[in-house]
Amino acid sequence: MNEKVVNLVTASGATFIGLVFLTWWLLYNPVRDFVESVPGMDNRPPGFKSRSEAVDIGAYFASFDGIPSGIQGSWPRFRGADFDNISKEKIRLTSSWGDAGPDILWSIDLGEGHAAPVVSNGRVYILDYDEDERADVLRCFSFDDGTEIWRRGYELRVKRNHGMSRTVPAVTDKYVVTIGPKCHVMCVDAVSGDFRWGIDLEREYGAEVPLWYTGQCPLIDDSLAVIAVGGRSLIIAVDCETGEVVWEVPNPNDWKMSHSSIMPFFIQGKKMYVYCALGGIIGISAEKETAGEILFETNLWDRTVIAPSPIHIGDGRIFVTAGYGAGSMMLKLNFEDGSFSAESLQELKPGEGIASEQQTPVFYKGHLFSLLPKDAGPLRNQFVCYHPDDCSQILWSSGKTNRFGLGPYIVADDKFFILSDDGILTILKVSTREYVQLARAKVLDGVDAWGPLALVSGRLLARDSRRLVCIDLRAGF
Amino acid sequence: MIDKTSKKPLKRRDFIRKSLHAVAGLTIGGLAGILFSKSSSEEMVWQLDPNICIQCEKCSVNCVLPHSAVKCVHSYSVCGYCDLCSGYLQPGTKVRDTGAESQLCPSGALKRTYVEDPYFEYTIDEKLCVGCGKCVKGCNSFGNGSLYLQTRHDRCLNCNQCSIARRCPSQAWNRVPASRSYILKGDEKKKFLKS
Repeated sequence: MNEKVVNLVTASGATFIGLVFLTWWLLYNPVRDFVESVPGMDNRPPGFKSRSEAVDIGAYFASFDGIPSGIQGSWPRFRGADFDNISKEKIRLTSSWGDAGPDILWSIDLGEGHAAPVVSNGRVYILDYDEDERADVLRCFSFDDGTEIWRRGYELRVKRNHGMSRTVPAVTDKYVVTIGPKCHVMCVDAVSGDFRWGIDLEREYGAEVPLWYTGQCPLIDDSLAVIAVGGRSLIIAVDCETGEVVWEVPNPNDWKMSHSSIMPFFIQGKKMYVYCALGGIIGISAEKETAGEILFETNLWDRTVIAPSPIHIGDGRIFVTAGYGAGSMMLKLNFEDGSFSAESLQELKPGEGIASEQQTPVFYKGHLFSLLPKDAGPLRNQFVCYHPDDCSQILWSSGKTNRFGLGPYIVADDKFFILSDDGILTILKVSTREYVQLARAKVLDGVDAWGPLALVSGRLLARDSRRLVCIDLRAGF
Repeated sequence: MIDKTSKKPLKRRDFIRKSLHAVAGLTIGGLAGILFSKSSSEEMVWQLDPNICIQCEKCSVNCVLPHSAVKCVHSYSVCGYCDLCSGYLQPGTKVRDTGAESQLCPSGALKRTYVEDPYFEYTIDEKLCVGCGKCVKGCNSFGNGSLYLQTRHDRCLNCNQCSIARRCPSQAWNRVPASRSYILKGDEKKKFLKS
């Protein structure tokens, strides 16, 4: 009898305890403290879109004592006259420096940024940001000594965001066209600095100011300023003389403005403007009769951030690349039945082959040269050479002791001049077989020397985040 | 007549006794010296050097603690406060929001808050951080390198042989003086070294 009672009590107790645990287990929520990550938890204002204030473009002007130089030659736009970053001048340049280093002819202080100069008719133009006046200013200097001749600009509040200025003007004998950090296009007289016209791409076309501000450099082609907008229109062409919009390309896909610049190419006997927008690549006819007509568009190359511009390799092949995990792609434009179509020949992830984050690679002697981005693994920030037939097979690299950051580079006198982002200028002998370093010297003391280089008559213009220097590269001087 | 000035020959027993006294005295003195020197020298603790760290993720799984003592820290003076933060967002993400699918951090430990156009502030929830360093790798790849890993000394057991250090492929771990127990970046480093 007692044994039965004990068994009954034990079974009942065990059942009760089991039920208690079962109930607890059913009711317990181990993720009760978890917070679901959903969009909108960063307090970004709803419908957030950067919108700059109304700007009176070109309202500010001042003149100074500078006198234009008599030095011949020009570097009229981003990547030079032929859009290839190759100087064609027949001037012998130095291959070495003595202990004193290169000869710095003159230097000027600039607002923080990466904007780079152009040179024409003895004048140096650069779209600077005046931090004291809080204004975008196109500054014109004498190429002789860096003395300022005039400046034209407009008030604009720009907050520091990895620098303020970052574009290269386009200049002809008559006009200078600039694009400011917040998408303000300005055209002035190249000699007098007189204001001609201005366009606020954000307000007038609904363009979106790119992350870290505008990086696109304007193009002047046959007195037309060709500008990528990425708003209501994707690309517009403006008559530099009148400011009238001559043609515009619609933007039904709502592609956005990138940091890449429009490049003119001749493919299949047709001149076209090719642009890497955020959303895809488009080719626009640049022929007079059909100007502005879309020749091709493709979303094969659709990346979040694009800074380098497209490069025409020949045979209809276009090389595109970007940083931030984008890698690179070799596209082929096919021409059949009177129309173009694009196909991908080779697509490479970061670390799989040639790529670039900020600078546009150079195509020279049938090879592609580039500074690899930070996501290139052990080759990060090294200068490299590839053959375009297979952009995954490296021919040579500068080695782990020769890294250049995100700096600019240029070809002249069959040499590469590479500025590392900490201001060291390196001279290389151009070779498709090996890395041949000739000399190197510190030419700038600052940081973030990312602005593209300009070279005219053996004088190199280079900048860091706050200073522009003119370096004499001529041999024997 | 007995010469009282003459020395007695030392007996073997006395010699052994005196020798033992001398050895004991030297031992006690030596031990006291060692203890004194130990007490006066600074304690050393483990720390990883963010300038050598390659963000291999071994710190998150090799600590003897159930949750690694290694956490991500942030140098606000180095940060660019970018909207497109390569330490926060998945590479190639089309949207810049706080959705889990957009975030690089597997545990959602890196938080961001809108400050004003165009700035966002990034903070780390240490309770959620597992020390994997994915955000650090992203930040180093395309940002300023303001995110980096440090072992937190309020958690670290300071093992005689750190199990993370043994497996660190870049040999980023070293013992550092306890008074300088963090290897910081930016203005935080200057303040830390002044204090």
